[in-house]
Amino acid sequence: MSNPIEAYDPAVDAPAHHHPIYDYESGPPVDRGKFAIWLFLATEVMFFTGLIGTYIVLRMGTETWPNPDLRLEVDLTALNTFILITSSWMMVRSLHAIQHGDREGMKKWLLWTILGGCVFLGVQIYEYIHMWADGRRPNVDIFWSTFYAMTGFHGFHVFVGIVWLICAYIAALRGAYTKENYLRLELAGLYWHFVDLVWVLLFTIVYLM
Amino acid sequence: MSDDHTFSANKIFGFLILYTALEVAWGTAFDFPRWAIWSGLLIFAFLKGYLIFTWFMHMKFEQPILKFMVVPTIPLIAILIFANMPDTSFNDDMLYPIGHQLEVNLDDDGIHRSKTGEVTGMPDVTAQKAVPASEAHDPLAGGH
Repeated sequence: MSNPIEAYDPAVDAPAHHHPIYDYESGPPVDRGKFAIWLFLATEVMFFTGLIGTYIVLRMGTETWPNPDLRLEVDLTALNTFILITSSWMMVRSLHAIQHGDREGMKKWLLWTILGGCVFLGVQIYEYIHMWADGRRPNVDIFWSTFYAMTGFHGFHVFVGIVWLICAYIAALRGAYTKENYLRLELAGLYWHFVDLVWVLLFTIVYLM
Repeated sequence: MSDDHTFSANKIFGFLILYTALEVAWGTAFDFPRWAIWSGLLIFAFLKGYLIFTWFMHMKFEQPILKFMVVPTIPLIAILIFANMPDTSFNDDMLYPIGHQLEVNLDDDGIHRSKTGEVTGMPDVTAQKAVPASEAHDPLAGGH
């Protein structure tokens, strides 16, 4: 029986991208990047659970919790929710465009997604400035402190998402995405959809309930 | 990917917009009992979340291993919220009053006291008498 090590010939036994002995794919049966982003999103779920859970726990024990309709601008925020959902849809359109090889469509929809996110964040900032000037600040009572904590952290996540999408757009301008390779765009889209999903729950629990 | 996914995205978007409009109307325009309002709102919220999670985030077409990564968060969420409630929401022994202790007797000096008169918290910067929710007046409502 010949020695497998001595008989090893890289030209024959090690073709490109294959290990000579362990010629199988190790690791999770999905893209590593997709696995990692979903693991990250699971941790983000717990992060927001801590914030929203705090709100729920404090409110459940309070008989006279303020009426959000009296303290918050529900109509403006409802419009803002429409904007964020629309930007999430435009992100899907961008991904579908590159899946069909339409680079120009991908860039167009990605740009609209970024603009939608910027509008959402701008409205949030306007709301914050308006409330702060009226004396509705985190130190006033528990309602405002929990409100600013939840919406503030969500707004920060939106900001991070916008920065990520801008980086993706720059990469798109440089031709980084093709019909066969668009994983990084998909990962950015997953984060953006998660931000939208969190806002859907936040808007319901904080503004409507 | 076929054109069906693009079509599905438009249909899902339409449902999301419709559900959002219905949700806002349900939460603001009707005078139903609170339990009915909240139940409807939560149904709409989780329905919208399901659509985003399943279709926009593509989970419907992903490998089971990704679904198994998200499933454990559900019991953890329940534990984080409901396991805290007995010690936080319904605890009479908290030094700084939160939760239901906010509506106990508040004297004009703004110092929180329990129902037995014992001082239970720090002076409140917004001293206000505890009133029933139906008579509550929010001094900050309307921006004033």
